[in-house]
Amino acid sequence: MSIFKKIVTFRPSFTVRILTGLISMLILLSVCTFIGLADQTRLNVRAAQFDARSIEAGAKVYFEQCARCHGVNGEGVEGLGPALASEQFVGRIELVRDSMQLQTVKVIKPSARMEQIGWTGTLKDYILSVTASGIPVKTSNVWDVNHPTFSERFGGPLRDDQIRDVANFILNYGLNPLPDDQALLPPAPGEGMAPRPTPVPLTPQQEAGREVYLAKGCAACHAIRGVGAQGAIGPNLTRIGAVSEERIASDSYKTNLKDQPPATTGAEYIRQSILYPNAYIVAQCPQGPCLAGVMPQNYAQQLTPEELDNLVDYLNSLR
Amino acid sequence: MAIVGQKLVKQIQATGLKATVAQRLDDAFTRFTAGLSWNDVRGVLRGDPPAKPNPRVKPHTEGFWFHIRPTFYHEAVTTLYPTFRLGLLSALFFTFEIITGIFLMIFYTPSPSYAYGNMLDILTNVPFGKFMRDMHRLGAEAMVIVVTLHMARTFITGSYKKPRQFTWFTGVVLLGVTLFMSFSGYLLPWDQLAFWAVTIGTSMADAVPGIGPQLNLLLRGAPDIGAGGLLRFYLFHVVLFPLIGVIFVAVHYYKVVRFGISLPPEMEAIGEDTARKVPPEKRVNFLPDILTNELMYAGVAFAVLAISCATWYSAPLEHHADPLVTPNHTVAPWYFYWLQGLLKIPHMIPLLPEGIAGEVDRFFANVFGLTPKVFWGVIVGPLMFALLFVVPYIDPNPSRRYGDRKVMLTFGALFAAAIIYLSLAGIPTGVPIIGFGYVGGDPASEVGQAFIPDEGVGPVRLLPYEQYVVGKFTISAQPNTGSAGLDRLIRDIHNDMEARKARPDPLGKTLSADATGSLEVKEIQANLKQVIITLDYTDVNGAPAQFKKYTFLHAQSGYASE
Repeated sequence: MSIFKKIVTFRPSFTVRILTGLISMLILLSVCTFIGLADQTRLNVRAAQFDARSIEAGAKVYFEQCARCHGVNGEGVEGLGPALASEQFVGRIELVRDSMQLQTVKVIKPSARMEQIGWTGTLKDYILSVTASGIPVKTSNVWDVNHPTFSERFGGPLRDDQIRDVANFILNYGLNPLPDDQALLPPAPGEGMAPRPTPVPLTPQQEAGREVYLAKGCAACHAIRGVGAQGAIGPNLTRIGAVSEERIASDSYKTNLKDQPPATTGAEYIRQSILYPNAYIVAQCPQGPCLAGVMPQNYAQQLTPEELDNLVDYLNSLR
Repeated sequence: MAIVGQKLVKQIQATGLKATVAQRLDDAFTRFTAGLSWNDVRGVLRGDPPAKPNPRVKPHTEGFWFHIRPTFYHEAVTTLYPTFRLGLLSALFFTFEIITGIFLMIFYTPSPSYAYGNMLDILTNVPFGKFMRDMHRLGAEAMVIVVTLHMARTFITGSYKKPRQFTWFTGVVLLGVTLFMSFSGYLLPWDQLAFWAVTIGTSMADAVPGIGPQLNLLLRGAPDIGAGGLLRFYLFHVVLFPLIGVIFVAVHYYKVVRFGISLPPEMEAIGEDTARKVPPEKRVNFLPDILTNELMYAGVAFAVLAISCATWYSAPLEHHADPLVTPNHTVAPWYFYWLQGLLKIPHMIPLLPEGIAGEVDRFFANVFGLTPKVFWGVIVGPLMFALLFVVPYIDPNPSRRYGDRKVMLTFGALFAAAIIYLSLAGIPTGVPIIGFGYVGGDPASEVGQAFIPDEGVGPVRLLPYEQYVVGKFTISAQPNTGSAGLDRLIRDIHNDMEARKARPDPLGKTLSADATGSLEVKEIQANLKQVIITLDYTDVNGAPAQFKKYTFLHAQSGYASE
């Protein structure tokens, strides 16, 4: 009898049937028992895995939505958003695992900021609620904008699960937070509304320079607080008059300047940066390190000499 | 009460306490088995021949469950051939799905806000949750296979012929119920896999000429799949299709019992059906032979499922559904690959020279308003399924013998070959050798997809976190990153790029010979790194182009453990 025929005419005896059935049932029961015995540990391990994946997903959301105002390292961006990675905000945490692999977050140092503003819930609750519904009332004039609503329930782009992911990502900074002196901390409540120093009235030349700034597209990339320029590609120019004087004195400027004679005054530096954008590349831009070749190099043709003079004069007045 | 007590006392006085208790217990046991005493059952288990008259037929007349089953089978259908127990297994899997499904239902909310979170809860917070979900999913896949094989077997042995035409018809309904039950379950986890597979599926309904948009609206509850669509698919999955299934299983099985299981074709005269005329010496009693046989198969099937889920099988769960992000290489479930293959046929009449085929397409588009996609996917596809319904009514041949049915068996083989060919064309890589159905993108993006797939794991996520050293590395054959695993990964990327430079994909595109790449690892947080693959290459227009793809990796995400 061929093997094929043996297979198709297979008819197990009564004993084989009973035995096979019993053994199968035993296997089924032992599989269930083994799974049951190890299940609590496995559940805990898997919970930690999904927490980790939530942080991965949150990182993606953070870099797409949050880094522009809170900084690529959570260090904060002047005029746009405070630090989220600072020890003041996230505190300091540690992950602890028990013998059953259950992972818990141990708070070594709670968020000082929550204490400062008098938030009664947890830090996670605060992040979830601010991310979702924003901060409706402007309590401080150090920021150009209010925190927007990010939940799709309030007209934003994010789903609830994405907001939970990004909250997990921000809380994860607590394992190794930025020291407070390296982060942009928000003002304490009540101090945010400090009046700004009265701006020096602009001269007619400087007024004309501001018009050039707004008309020639500078505002699309460079923010200046208070004039409606909110670009976030190039460096923020709110204090450029003071900054340029500090810069020409820096070592970095002296060593990294290319193809151009070093500027001796702040105004000269500003003029050089407009005409020869690649001569010196600033380290930090709103979306990461600044890159050469991003800023157009044809402003010598775009601007008349008079427009250029006015623009430099205006920028130099920003201190 | 007093009377019962008096009787009991009298019996104890007459026969003693021990015998009375034994007799009362045996009475209860007999009521439970609907007619078999403890001694009868013991005889069954010992393999004793039945007494005369046979007490073992009593449950078939007294009890509900056994009255559904026949009292005896023909000896010729108790071997593995001709049934292969596929019908039994189909019913077993159906029952199995109901049991595991009810377990999962307890932890599930059919709402886009909660469904995915429920999945995570089932995996991380429900004892046996992952096991049950794996079993439910694997059982569903197995059920599709078993039901399809059951139909193939019925076709091959010619068992759909008179008088079993309607049994076949109800069987095809049950095949459809099985497919749609499985498909409607696909959406429930509310992950990317679910969302896009079902979006593709329901968009086919949208293309139905005339009533498409209305049909689509009926299925989805809104122009796009959302809360309404999820609730509808949930109700299809747990109410509508199981209900249709139970009704048709009842009809189907009634017919099976009414006509008997068809004997092997060579045992009967042509055109005759002798399944119900079983000579006494050929009878195999249901109790105990058939029942123990069935219990054995049930035990083995469930044990295999349980071992599979405990060892190698893990039901997939992708990222949360996102209507704004379509992952690369989105596919329908595998049992609908053939339909997806049909959708890829580029012309109304394929294989014609390009110019003529285009003219024919224009003719059909202008005169009938038919595009190739609508014609092949929405008209031909369902018609192929509908063809199964009419098989017994269009086959005029009364003979069930294999030698007499060469035409029909050839036709069946061709149908199966067509389904397999179209299924191959349905997967993104298409049919090997001739390349029909390939839908890969730009070669550079395919490198990204191969190493950091949009969904699923892929080599970058598989490499353990500790193996990633921070820095920016050029993709080369001899990387030196200081980490053996990262070196291996970079070599693999290098080899993949070289292969794509040397060998054109089925669309004739190669990666430009001057393409270079880099892999950058950044530390984002204490236990979180970002891995970025960048390719610089020359695009088809000769312009420099850059492709960039990144992912974040957490030290504990545990992709390798899946």
